[in-house]
Amino acid sequence: MRRSGRAAAASRAAILLALSMAAVFTLFPIYMALLNSVKTEGEMLTNVLSWPSRLELLNYADAYEKIDFPQSFKNTIVVTVIGVAGIVLFASLAGYKMSRTPGRLSGALFGLFALSSLIPFHSIMISLVRIAKGLHLQGTTYGLALVYIGLGVALAVVLYHGFVKSIPRELDEAAVIDGCGELRLFSSVIFPLLLPISATVAILNALWMWNDFLLPLLMLTDSDYYTLLIATNMLFGEYNNDWSAILASLVLTMLPVVAAYLLLQKYILSGIAEGAIKG
Amino acid sequence: MTRGAKRTAVLLAFVLPALLFYLVCTIAPAFGGFWYSLTDWNGLNREYEWVGVSNYVEALRDDPYFLDSILFTLKYVMFMVVLQNVAALGLAVLVESRRRSKALFRTIFFMPNMLSMIVGGFMWMFIFTKALPFFAERTGFGWLDRSWIGDPTLSFYSILMLSLWGGVGYIMVIYIAGLQGVPAHLKEAAAIDGANAWQIVRHVTLPMISPAMTIGVFLTLSSSFKVFDAVYALTGGGPGRSTQVIAINIMEEAFRFQQRYGYASAKAMILFLIVLLVTLIQLRVMKRREVEA
Repeated sequence: MRRSGRAAAASRAAILLALSMAAVFTLFPIYMALLNSVKTEGEMLTNVLSWPSRLELLNYADAYEKIDFPQSFKNTIVVTVIGVAGIVLFASLAGYKMSRTPGRLSGALFGLFALSSLIPFHSIMISLVRIAKGLHLQGTTYGLALVYIGLGVALAVVLYHGFVKSIPRELDEAAVIDGCGELRLFSSVIFPLLLPISATVAILNALWMWNDFLLPLLMLTDSDYYTLLIATNMLFGEYNNDWSAILASLVLTMLPVVAAYLLLQKYILSGIAEGAIKG
Repeated sequence: MTRGAKRTAVLLAFVLPALLFYLVCTIAPAFGGFWYSLTDWNGLNREYEWVGVSNYVEALRDDPYFLDSILFTLKYVMFMVVLQNVAALGLAVLVESRRRSKALFRTIFFMPNMLSMIVGGFMWMFIFTKALPFFAERTGFGWLDRSWIGDPTLSFYSILMLSLWGGVGYIMVIYIAGLQGVPAHLKEAAAIDGANAWQIVRHVTLPMISPAMTIGVFLTLSSSFKVFDAVYALTGGGPGRSTQVIAINIMEEAFRFQQRYGYASAKAMILFLIVLLVTLIQLRVMKRREVEA
């Protein structure tokens, strides 16, 4: 008994050691970026591991200016907010009604939306950019947000469609008897009940839009409309050895996401798992 | 209006906004891409000619760069599917065995998935080009001071490293969900029947999480075939074309050098067919095994 107790303790210690090493490995690049973003260039070059002798915030001032942080931050927020709001609104309307309406038309529409998971972005990006140009959506933050709605709405429809099945139909019927119209029924009875799936849809899409690179790279041509990621990429292209400014701008780009993650991780992790399994 | 007609009208009214956006931004470009792939359009001229399947023939027969990019992507996909799923399952099992530190480790391992691979790629670039040479000098481990980005062979491993760092946490979360779904009484029953820890894993846990494995392999497959950000940030497809994955080859064809839209569209269709075929086979094979289990 004693022997197996000791063996169990040893194996627990080995597991803890393995996990800790993996954790250090995972956090190391982020730690390196943070640490060296507050050192002078000279200090960084002599010792990447050393603690900064003093906080060098000039790197941040430099990066702030070079990526035009207020503008590119605002652009990223605008794209994400409009994109997410559009997807949540349109997908919940469509997913709810299709789920509640039996029949061939409804089934065919659902099939069309479900098809989206088969279509990889790379296969459509070339003509998507042409279409966006034709509709004057290329080149602006709003245009980019609208394209995100068109790219993300179908998966969200599928998620809402599945979730609505768990809401009892009696609720709809009771509301109709009380004299609720279609839109009223949706906005005051159904939509609030969709909150859990709306949270999942919002999280998945906000993360995607915040971190997506290829679409804004193709869509945005004018630096006034750059998102944080595109601005950082341009900074890297222009000054690819100015690591002080690059690391500071990486920190500025990831800070909002990491903060949101630490605050909302419970919802984020369950949303991710759910999105992966159902989508 | 009859009741049926009214119902249809209401359905369409609710579906229309979503449908419109979806048709314009996904379905139309899908058809458009297929149409362009049969033409010689260069993206600029108004006029272009219909060339049938000659773009496909050229891509698969006369374009060594494209064929190399397919082979390189296949190699990357194979490494990723094995390494990422083994690492994710391993981490999931270890994390689940902890009681109080479970949440902490899960939070840490998932963290890179919150960041763009472009951000992660630049951070790793710093590690490869600035930190590792420094460690090599300090520790005397000269082998650390290699050209991790600039060497054609090593850059493959650097890209793998970055991809695993950025992707493993996501798959781990799926395996954790799978592990949590294994009923405790099954494991207890097996233990009472005299099964040891390994036998329980082999005959109870693994079969019970086979649906999670199907998803984990599927997600790794489909994202690895389409990999772009990680390669773009770290090597840009270089040195030379040694790390040029399919997505980078298509991008260069369409937007960088030649602006051969029609030809690039044909390559994009080929990528689509490869992903579709491989994932359909994978789902079929793995779903069948799920039933057996």
